[in-house]
Amino acid sequence: MERRRFLQVAGVAGIGVAAGCAPTSGERLLPYVNESDDLIPGIPEFYASTCRECPAGCGIQVKTREARAIKVEGNPAHPVGHGRVCARGQAALQGLYDPDRVKQPWRRTARGLEPVTWDRAIEQIATALGAAAASGADRVALVTGADSGALDAFYDEWLAAFRSHRRLRYEAFAYEPLREASRLTFGVAAVPEFDFASARYVLSFGADFLETWLSPVEYTRQFAEAHRYHDGRMAKFVAVEPRRGLTAYSADEWIAPKPGTEGLLALGIASSVVRQGKADLTGAEADRVRGFCARFTARGVAETTGVAEDVIDRVAREFAAARPSLAVAGGVATQHRAATQAAAAVNLLNYVVGNVGRTVRYHAASPWEKVSRYRDATAWIAAMQAGAVDVALVHRTNPAFTLPKAAGFADAFRKVHLTVALASHLDETAELCDLILPDVTPLEEWSVVEPAAGVRSFVQPAMTPVFDGTRQAADALLAIAAKAGKTVGRGAATARELVAAGMVPTALDHALQHGGEFAAAPVKPVRLVPDFARVVYRAPAFDGDAGGEALVLIAYPSAALFDGRGANKGWLQELPDVATKIAWQSWVEVHPDTALRLRVANGDLVTVTSPHGRVEAPVYVYPGVRPDVVAMPIGQGHTAYGRNAKHRGVNPLDLLGADAVDASGALAFCSTRVTLAKTGRQTRLATTEGSARQLGRGIARAVSLAGALKGEVEAGPEATLTDAERAAVAAAAASQRERANIGVYAKPNPKWELTIDLSRCTGCQACVTACYAENNLPVVGEEQTLRHRGMAWIRLERYYEGDTAGTDWQVRQIPMLCQQCENAPCEPVCPVYAAYHTPDGLNGQIYNRCIGTRYCAANCPYKVRYFNWWDYGTVGDPYFAFVEPLNWQLNPDVTVRTKGVMEKCTFCVQRIRFAQTDAKVRKRELADGDITPACAQTCPAEAIVFGDAHDPSSLVSRLKQDARGYHALGMLNTKPGVTYLERVITQGEA
Amino acid sequence: MATLATPIPPAAPLHAEAPPSYADTTRDIIATLRPPGRKYYVGMAFVLVGLAFGAFCWGYQLRYGLGVTGYQPPIFWGTYITTFVFWVGIAHSGTLISAILYLFRSGWRTAVYRTAEAMTVFAVMTAGLFPILHLGRAWYAYWVFPYPNFRGVWSNFRSPLVWDVFAISTYLTVSATFLLMGLIPDVAAVRDRSLGWRQRLYSMVSFGWKGSDREWHHFGRMYLYLAGFATPLVLSVHSVVSWDFAMAIVPGWHATIFAPYFVAGAIFSGCGMVITILVPLRKAFHLERYVQVRHFESLAKVILLTASIVAYAYATEYFIAWYSGNPFERSSFYNRAFGQYWWATWIMLTCNAFIPQLLWFKKIRTSIPTLFVISIFINIGMWFERFVIIVTGLSHEYEPWQWSYYVPRWPELGILVGSFCWFSMWFLLFIKFFPAVAISEIKESLPPPVQAGGRR
Amino acid sequence: MSAATGVVGVFGGVDAAVAAIESLKARGYANYRVYSPTPRPELAEALARKESPVRLFTLFGALTGTAFGFFYAIATSLDWPLVTGGKPIVSWPPFVVIGFETTILIGALATVAGMFLFAGLPKLGRAPGYDPRFSDDKFGVVAFGGPAQLAEAREIFAASGAEEVKDV
Repeated sequence: MERRRFLQVAGVAGIGVAAGCAPTSGERLLPYVNESDDLIPGIPEFYASTCRECPAGCGIQVKTREARAIKVEGNPAHPVGHGRVCARGQAALQGLYDPDRVKQPWRRTARGLEPVTWDRAIEQIATALGAAAASGADRVALVTGADSGALDAFYDEWLAAFRSHRRLRYEAFAYEPLREASRLTFGVAAVPEFDFASARYVLSFGADFLETWLSPVEYTRQFAEAHRYHDGRMAKFVAVEPRRGLTAYSADEWIAPKPGTEGLLALGIASSVVRQGKADLTGAEADRVRGFCARFTARGVAETTGVAEDVIDRVAREFAAARPSLAVAGGVATQHRAATQAAAAVNLLNYVVGNVGRTVRYHAASPWEKVSRYRDATAWIAAMQAGAVDVALVHRTNPAFTLPKAAGFADAFRKVHLTVALASHLDETAELCDLILPDVTPLEEWSVVEPAAGVRSFVQPAMTPVFDGTRQAADALLAIAAKAGKTVGRGAATARELVAAGMVPTALDHALQHGGEFAAAPVKPVRLVPDFARVVYRAPAFDGDAGGEALVLIAYPSAALFDGRGANKGWLQELPDVATKIAWQSWVEVHPDTALRLRVANGDLVTVTSPHGRVEAPVYVYPGVRPDVVAMPIGQGHTAYGRNAKHRGVNPLDLLGADAVDASGALAFCSTRVTLAKTGRQTRLATTEGSARQLGRGIARAVSLAGALKGEVEAGPEATLTDAERAAVAAAAASQRERANIGVYAKPNPKWELTIDLSRCTGCQACVTACYAENNLPVVGEEQTLRHRGMAWIRLERYYEGDTAGTDWQVRQIPMLCQQCENAPCEPVCPVYAAYHTPDGLNGQIYNRCIGTRYCAANCPYKVRYFNWWDYGTVGDPYFAFVEPLNWQLNPDVTVRTKGVMEKCTFCVQRIRFAQTDAKVRKRELADGDITPACAQTCPAEAIVFGDAHDPSSLVSRLKQDARGYHALGMLNTKPGVTYLERVITQGEA
Repeated sequence: MATLATPIPPAAPLHAEAPPSYADTTRDIIATLRPPGRKYYVGMAFVLVGLAFGAFCWGYQLRYGLGVTGYQPPIFWGTYITTFVFWVGIAHSGTLISAILYLFRSGWRTAVYRTAEAMTVFAVMTAGLFPILHLGRAWYAYWVFPYPNFRGVWSNFRSPLVWDVFAISTYLTVSATFLLMGLIPDVAAVRDRSLGWRQRLYSMVSFGWKGSDREWHHFGRMYLYLAGFATPLVLSVHSVVSWDFAMAIVPGWHATIFAPYFVAGAIFSGCGMVITILVPLRKAFHLERYVQVRHFESLAKVILLTASIVAYAYATEYFIAWYSGNPFERSSFYNRAFGQYWWATWIMLTCNAFIPQLLWFKKIRTSIPTLFVISIFINIGMWFERFVIIVTGLSHEYEPWQWSYYVPRWPELGILVGSFCWFSMWFLLFIKFFPAVAISEIKESLPPPVQAGGRR
Repeated sequence: MSAATGVVGVFGGVDAAVAAIESLKARGYANYRVYSPTPRPELAEALARKESPVRLFTLFGALTGTAFGFFYAIATSLDWPLVTGGKPIVSWPPFVVIGFETTILIGALATVAGMFLFAGLPKLGRAPGYDPRFSDDKFGVVAFGGPAQLAEAREIFAASGAEEVKDV
């Protein structure tokens, strides 16, 4: 059915070729039998929905063409994300079109998995449920991810119908310490809402709020707003963490305390604030705090944390001076055995300078308060182990992978009589189940969630399910209940009705059109509880003996793969890690000094051994970790979960102890010491990194705040040219251009240009994945990535500046894409005019003209042209990159390139042409901002601006005038159409 | 061939004792066309197998794409372009020896020029394959020709690759013509000494040449003008090839010295190859009386000269890179000598700059075995020269993030081997169908037969 | 006495052939032809032919080539103007290369054509008086004319030391 539908669509829209159907495939293009009213071939439709790739719940608009979801874009009207999406959100489509999805119900037998009909499966479950309910209470377990809203309530109701309250909302990262600390310090067991936008000084204790922490997209937008340089001011950002990740790359200052001492450092800073008389407290409270803080002398703190006294005092001074400021605790700082104490200490610090209520806001409701704690998960496992659970249903969560092996989930789970997976993908947990019911993905389902206080965000299907056999979990549960003779859902027969329950149609329509109902939630004032002193710092314990070569292991969430749920998506596997730039692999980050001591180099395979287990992974020598620490990303090491994830890399969670919990009952990811042993074997790291130093070539530039205020900029090699030389070069170019302006070139054309503000860009790489989605870029795989043959048209280059021996070094990141040079070196060398200059200032690349001399790429100084070494675009070829149904995602407006042609970024020329035609059809002038390339559209930091440089009023024209504006490799006189604005770094006192 | 201008003086008597008579010359040289022996067939079989493997490699590459090669961005050009330039270079000495020395009337040319010319033609035929082998979509190679087409787009004459198309095709046409014209009188001589189909074939190829005064008259002029054309053509062709690189902005490529540097290198490598070919040929066909040690010595002198020019060019490149103060050039050249490709660079320097200096010694210049060994080194060195320029240049460009390393994979090496076999195949065929030494020109340089007494 | 149209003298030495030619000229012979295995300056002097017109073909071929090269490059560039690298549509420097190569190509081919034309090639038939030995080591002089002249020629050839004299 879907197949025929697709062909009908293809027939009308003529996307057959774009969708990768070779003429030889013998398929016929058929016209519609019944015309669809709301479907105009060639015109995209957008469905407002909510991203469910992580609990953050950003608002999205799913772009569909001819009833196919082809792109995920942000919903500008949505308070979470404000129209921006991260790489994982972009990649939701690859979950939707994953060829390895569960397409029909399966039953596990002695002979393995066997197909089973929905009816039989439902019957079996209903019977089992009946028996379970009959034999007593709480014998049925329903496990979901972090959930909220109507369906969440329905799940509880459904469970109750079977006399059970064993409901688990399991998330690998559930921020228990934040909730517990808030309860202990302010009496509210909630995760507060943080306001980075208005903070003038951000002090982060380990929080990777630009990667995975709480709501990374929204926080990136806010942080960029505060930290960007504009009219002479910018917020200062100090990152306190033993491992410098992407978030800390944006930091003006990196402080690397001993792991586990972050809380003490926070207390030390708070004490210093109090000592300096900068505390914003009065009366008894002030005395209490002063008394408490007296316990933490600067020297004592300095000794334990390894952070110098003067640094502590300076940071305290700056933090207190810049009001409002913001301190956040997260990541590794809240993932050791003293996590709650650390979070509490940070709360105190915020409280002391009066941030609570301003940049740290509590509300009546918090999206996280109902989410289960790690301790609840272990309790559930114990129950299963004890045989107290007869039926367990798991939906959209993967405890078998994200729980440490030591937790013994698998064994306990097997003890359950009937285990059911309501899964869209065959992940580790589903593989353990007796019954696997094919679930839809979030892009095909109805739901409503509450990602933030006052936000009811709707999830609606962007298209009919890709696979007929699939059914939304809620619908399946309704059917099961019905079969078991239970009435649930208050008369609702479908998930849609559950969502729409109690809404008048107009309200529902409005909500679906705008993505939800957004109301400002009142801030709930909180005060420091009198006995906050209970929460005093206690040094966290680490498993394994401290002696010898033992190093503390930091297992951190991968920005691309999150807790591992991204690992089945090619786009995310191929997205180089934001910090180390390694794709497709696992690795161990080792400090250069440590590496020297252990005599290991990049690519050396080492066994990482902890008291709880061992894994084998290649070494990546990385100056961003303390010498007494090694770090590994979480997310790889799947034993199931599809072709991209299965048997790839290792899972550092195997190294953790199951009982490593803190006061809040959270799993302590940073709780064990490990030893590294060389295996003597080697492997090549699939990294996109060439040289990590830019050797003064001025590609990614930065200037100090002090300098920027004086109007100074960092000069590049072009500075060696004299003005006379520059003038001469310019004159020559101009006279040549003069003689080039004939025909259409002489007409008054726009000139499309881009500006990228490096003081906003955080290096999150959302633009990269957005480009994959928009421009039909193939996923080339690990082997080709090893050979530098990735096809990403835009990449993030990461250079170190300064001496990486200590912590006083900076990271320069720059998104490198085709610069659309006016004097493009790539164009004149092409013998067949495949590369040429369009009248509106683009480096056109005509794929079907290209014969593949690769001269253009050889002559491109920026190296932003990509060659089709293999036949990624032809059905049936061993390298075909868009295996059914992945080809459904292909953008019909963009050619799928075949073997042997060169390809490159053209500022999403298809969007330019669409907007121009649209304007013409509507008989109106094209306005600035009508056109947005995919990279600019998704950029959470809003760093990329696109527009017509010939229109002096356009934003891009104004931005490129900025004193910080420069051209990469400008001395080559290529006259790039991309203007970068230098990053500004606050050095010393803010 | 003759001109009516001042005759070519025999530089010295062809050799000390009694010179071969006209009759000896005809006989000895035509003897080379006798039916080949087993050695020949073994050699030919070997060559054909190699060629077949090369063809297989190309087919494999066409099927799966250039991914089968070792290309690793940003190194988008590698073995194929290297080998292309190598063969174009080989091609050059042929025309040099033939045309330029002809214009300069240097006597030693006669003995070796036919071999050199044949080598030129076959080398160009080999070189011409590589730009096509290198293409991502070889089946559209003809798109580079500016012919009226449904696409409505012509060639981009600003592209050095289109210059290449014109230069190489012109060079192939003209040098082939030059060879064929030179062959006419000799083929006539062969015709008169053969029977059956061979006779018919040769009378075709000789266009019925009779050697009448009228024929010689116009022929001589034509040959002179062809030589006049060929000479600037040689220089232009390799200059154009060098501009494939010099016109690019790649550090290590973008240099004005490239044209003369490449031309010198071409002549250098070409003379090396002439020796590599002539030594076994001379031995196999017992042509010692015609191709003599002094001819090899003259070649050796040319090699010595051009080797020194090439060495000077290397030095200049480094000097300019340093003197320009351009950080990219400096970095590129430092990397070339001491970076990851140091081995290639030092092979190149050793073979091209140092080893040929041995030729200062007459003993070495006049020792055929030594010359042969040196010529092999020269061939290797000159291949690596192009490899160094192309690959190290691209591996270490402006964008440090995009620095990379390339090593060829088996399909490329297979095609490289195949190209040598392709070249050898044509050469083996040639020496069995046409006189490898110019009969009439040898005669021209011999004292003519005179009748004792003359008129009675 | 057969009806011979010419008589050929086969000479073993170039000096003898030259002598024969000289005496033929001395007797006012105009219609004679010389075959030689290789061009000899002695013969050329004796024959003293006027400059070959092949050079005109060379000249005009070359000029045509130049004109064609430039015209083609310019015309096709203007036919569909596509800007590359901000360079002029009609960029002289690169077009010089094209013009140069076509000059050589067409010039060379024209020269060859001229040679074929004036030398009367290809001439696949038999040539009067030609003898395979002339491509080896003999020189041949063929004189044409009426019986009287031929008789005289025979004497001259014999006198000049022809190894063989025969009618054709």
